[in-house]
Amino acid sequence: MAKILDGQRYKCSLAAMQSVQAIPGAIPVLHSGPGCAAKLSDTIGSSGHYSPNIFPCTSLNEKDVVFGGTRKLRTTIENAMKVLDADLYIVLTGCIPEIVGDDSVSVVDEFREAGKPVILAETAGFRGNSYTGYEQVLDAITDQYLEPAPEGEREKGLVNIFADVPYQDLFWLGNYEQLAKLVSLLGLTPNVIFGYEGGTDRVRDIPKAEFNLLVSPWVGIEPMERMEKRLGIPFLHWPNLPVGAFETSKFLRALGEYAGVPSDKVESVIADQEGYYYYLIERYADLFLETRVMAKQFTVSADAQYSLALTKFLVNDLSLNPATQFVVDDTPKKYRESVAAEFSNLNHGIKAPVEFETDSWKISQAIRAHDYHGYPLVLGSYWEKEVTEEMYGHYLNISWPVQDKVVMDESYVGYQGGIKVIEDIYSVAVQRWN
Amino acid sequence: MSETRQIAIYGKGGIGKSTTTQNLATGLANLGKKLMVVGCDPKADSTRLLLGGLAQKTVLDTIREEGDDIDLSSIMKEGYGGIRCVESGGPEPGVGCAGRGIITSISMLESLGAYTDDLDFVFYDVLGDVVCGGFAMPIREGKAKEIYIVASGEMMALYAANNIAKGISRYARTGGARIGGIICNSRNVDRELDLLRAFAKELGTKLLYYVPRDNIVQRAEINRKTVIEYAPDSKQAHEYEGLAQAIVENEDFTIPTPMTQGRLEDILIQFGLMDNLEDDYHI
Repeated sequence: MAKILDGQRYKCSLAAMQSVQAIPGAIPVLHSGPGCAAKLSDTIGSSGHYSPNIFPCTSLNEKDVVFGGTRKLRTTIENAMKVLDADLYIVLTGCIPEIVGDDSVSVVDEFREAGKPVILAETAGFRGNSYTGYEQVLDAITDQYLEPAPEGEREKGLVNIFADVPYQDLFWLGNYEQLAKLVSLLGLTPNVIFGYEGGTDRVRDIPKAEFNLLVSPWVGIEPMERMEKRLGIPFLHWPNLPVGAFETSKFLRALGEYAGVPSDKVESVIADQEGYYYYLIERYADLFLETRVMAKQFTVSADAQYSLALTKFLVNDLSLNPATQFVVDDTPKKYRESVAAEFSNLNHGIKAPVEFETDSWKISQAIRAHDYHGYPLVLGSYWEKEVTEEMYGHYLNISWPVQDKVVMDESYVGYQGGIKVIEDIYSVAVQRWN
Repeated sequence: MSETRQIAIYGKGGIGKSTTTQNLATGLANLGKKLMVVGCDPKADSTRLLLGGLAQKTVLDTIREEGDDIDLSSIMKEGYGGIRCVESGGPEPGVGCAGRGIITSISMLESLGAYTDDLDFVFYDVLGDVVCGGFAMPIREGKAKEIYIVASGEMMALYAANNIAKGISRYARTGGARIGGIICNSRNVDRELDLLRAFAKELGTKLLYYVPRDNIVQRAEINRKTVIEYAPDSKQAHEYEGLAQAIVENEDFTIPTPMTQGRLEDILIQFGLMDNLEDDYHI
């Protein structure tokens, strides 16, 4: 019997389109029905050079199902190259061509063999979700667009950063910028393909890097392994976004050690950053002490990235107690153990109970059933708003779907990011007196 | 006027579905019945004998070349005895989805009004096996409610027939599809008649008709004719007339009870088919 899923947490693999749209100069070419394209192009914040509504699509219909759609794919790519000035055309296949067996690989190969910047990611919706679609785009770039850097062309200190899934994570732009800043603080050179500083030039710089920095519990591990194998780029895996002083300092030490940055340099950066961080914490100590309505226990209901990052921050930096944490990204089974283990890697020997659950109804039920010993603090998707309001709790929408806030380049990463989380949480809590 | 009987003919590839269907249709036309034969096979050779050659442009070729705005006359031709002939056709081998093509074609026939009230019979001659939802189209949504499986006493023909029965039983509840019987297109295998009877019984149906093997069928085919048209007085022509009569008179329609692989093999062993296979097996 089909499982009924209440409140979806991600889109299908074809959401890979959003990852492509986050790379300036790259454009997605959809080989799919027009409905897929319409549904996926609703993301706010991806206007600009190519808006989310400007992209080629083969708009497959019944005829293409019966007779195959490869001819249409070929002409769509040809014509896209005539009217759009993209540097990189990333063909993404939807369900239809993959069910009827279109040989999209051969069509794209024709262009590649002619030296055109066209690559393919087979992202039929049924293959996975937004997270795996993002990984497929990275894999397509690795396999079809990049070559290992020739001897002597590797750049010491150049670090490729891979962390959030663009647009699936509403803070992705700010987070990449903050991660780049942290990397720069240690004297390393960040290379980010997504966002304002990103682009197809940055994509072509990938092979020159000394190493890849993966900041994510599980999304991106396989693409990093692939880059290591094919391009010879080793990677440092840090299991969560560093939020607040405790995790960020730990992160900088690990990064510094991996990159061979002298520890006195690392410690001086940390001292500098922590100085300002704790100056703010100290100045607002009365806020923390006097806001008696502040929750004692919290739940984060988000993808592994946020669930883990915010749990660590709220326990280690804000001394809150974790109720059950929910990981909603359908973490593949093989990664669940390592992700779950990180929820026990908290200060003071605290272990946060964690559940891997994609059903929003079940999550709401569990939140409702728990005794938070006061007002609950729930950081989650829009689906958790109702239950939190019912319980008069404090609620922040930090995970997709996001319906009640606009985020441009805000970030929760780093020292500054921790302060931002505090501001957001307390901005909710203090409203009780209004 | 009685309701149109819509009949689907299934069976292993090469078993003689198209030949049997066209000879049967000819026999029915000679009984004064009005018929339409819809070929549901990308090879588009289901109406060749009725039309005296591959004279028919397929539905899908027409849609491909002319778009959706087409006339019924461009995809339906009258053949022997006023039998209306349609070939669904399909995409080029190796591309697209032939199953969806069948669905597209039948929907097109419906929207163009091909199913007129004066038809006594509509036959769907479907390729090899019920490989996917598209090839089950004729028995879905209440279209063909009667299904006949063409088989012989050969092992693979019976394997296929059993598989087809699984497809029929799947759609029996929703689409109302029922099996009307097995038509044996003889290959002169030992104990063929007994085996087919036992097989049909196990499948919850009956052996509707036993069509003996006769080379006149091939001679008629070379002349692009059915046996009834080519040699109306031949013994084989009378056999097909007998089959037509059996179809007209048939009132036994059941939901088939497909066998497990083990049970099917038991029957084959019982009739000595597996022994022969072992004795003679060589590649």
